[in-house]
Amino acid sequence: MSLGTAIAMKRGYPAHATILVKFLSAGCIGVLLGLFVTLVVVERGKGFGAIAAGPWTGWPRNGTSDIDPYTRAILAYSGEISLSESEGMSFVAHGDSNGAEFDPACDYALKGEIPSARYWTLTLLSPAGAPITNTAGRPGFTSSEVLRASDGQFEITLSRHARPGNWLPIGDTSKFILVLRLYDNELGAPAAALDAASMPRLVKSRCE
Amino acid sequence: MNQIDRVLAALLWLLGVLAIAGITHIVAVFALPEIAAKDTYARISELAKPGQLTILPPPRPDKQVTPFADPAMVQSVCPFDLSQGGLRLHTDVEGGRLLTFSFRTSAGQGFYSMTDLAAQQGKIDVVVLTAAQLEVVEAEDDEDDPSQDLRLVAPEPRGFVIVSALAVYQSDRADAEERVKSVICAVEQVAQD
Repeated sequence: MSLGTAIAMKRGYPAHATILVKFLSAGCIGVLLGLFVTLVVVERGKGFGAIAAGPWTGWPRNGTSDIDPYTRAILAYSGEISLSESEGMSFVAHGDSNGAEFDPACDYALKGEIPSARYWTLTLLSPAGAPITNTAGRPGFTSSEVLRASDGQFEITLSRHARPGNWLPIGDTSKFILVLRLYDNELGAPAAALDAASMPRLVKSRCE
Repeated sequence: MNQIDRVLAALLWLLGVLAIAGITHIVAVFALPEIAAKDTYARISELAKPGQLTILPPPRPDKQVTPFADPAMVQSVCPFDLSQGGLRLHTDVEGGRLLTFSFRTSAGQGFYSMTDLAAQQGKIDVVVLTAAQLEVVEAEDDEDDPSQDLRLVAPEPRGFVIVSALAVYQSDRADAEERVKSVICAVEQVAQD
């Protein structure tokens, strides 16, 4: 062994180690970063194909086989079984018509048109999709239960405290969402054409 | 190593990290439904046996079978495993009250759905089959007396059917449960070649 080779070997060992460390660190950090991004996307993301109409967001293709991989992953992660195409469609609202997130200390009024459907239900849930206990034992309204004026119009009041008319109790919670389900509707593909005017408005009134 | 070499080496390392992160992300997004499918089917199999209709407990604040379930709906589930034969669903429909059927793969993805409005002469008859079973059944058909069954080919052998009825008033729940219970969901033997 010449002196030159011996020196090269001495130098080469730490150089190889550095490269190995670089490769391993890039691999580990890359995998962790990729998993973290996936987690954020499935927890926070809406997926593609969501349609927004005023405060409401709907996913017309969720129950069909024609969904994108992101939406499929989001649904698989949450364990939600969304409505199929012929069953109907659901819309979620996280805030009022002005874009402000729901505050359980405030009263809200739901008024306006609901797209035509054989039945509809309005449900108050926690953001994770669990029902919220309330003293009145009312989880929501169905289209048959709601009290209407003589012209067929109606208004639902969301409040922590008992209200006259259609009162949907908010219950003891710090956050809530509303889910509107239209059963046996004829929306399907034209759902993409829904706009804020064809969906009910959510108006904040007094706060505690 | 001078300054530029160092910057270039760092950039290359960063590119490597990003490339690996991207690949991991794509693999994870595609793998998640597969992993969750086993979970969904396992959870449902715990509650119901294949070819058996079981009513799901109503969602409660501390416990739900699936999140975002509609408390006004009485839901039931009938898992199927087509390796044991086809699955037959039959019910007589009472006028005007919502009853929905949703056919899902083991991952919970829908491949067919219908409501009571699709009933023929007040009856709903559906048979879920594999493509091979469909061939056998079709070969046995009597041409003079065609079957009234709706035949569905499932994209995979395992899955489940969700049968739901709407309780339009809270007091209607027992009645909606009766409507769901009246649906017959049973394994149907298909002659094998």
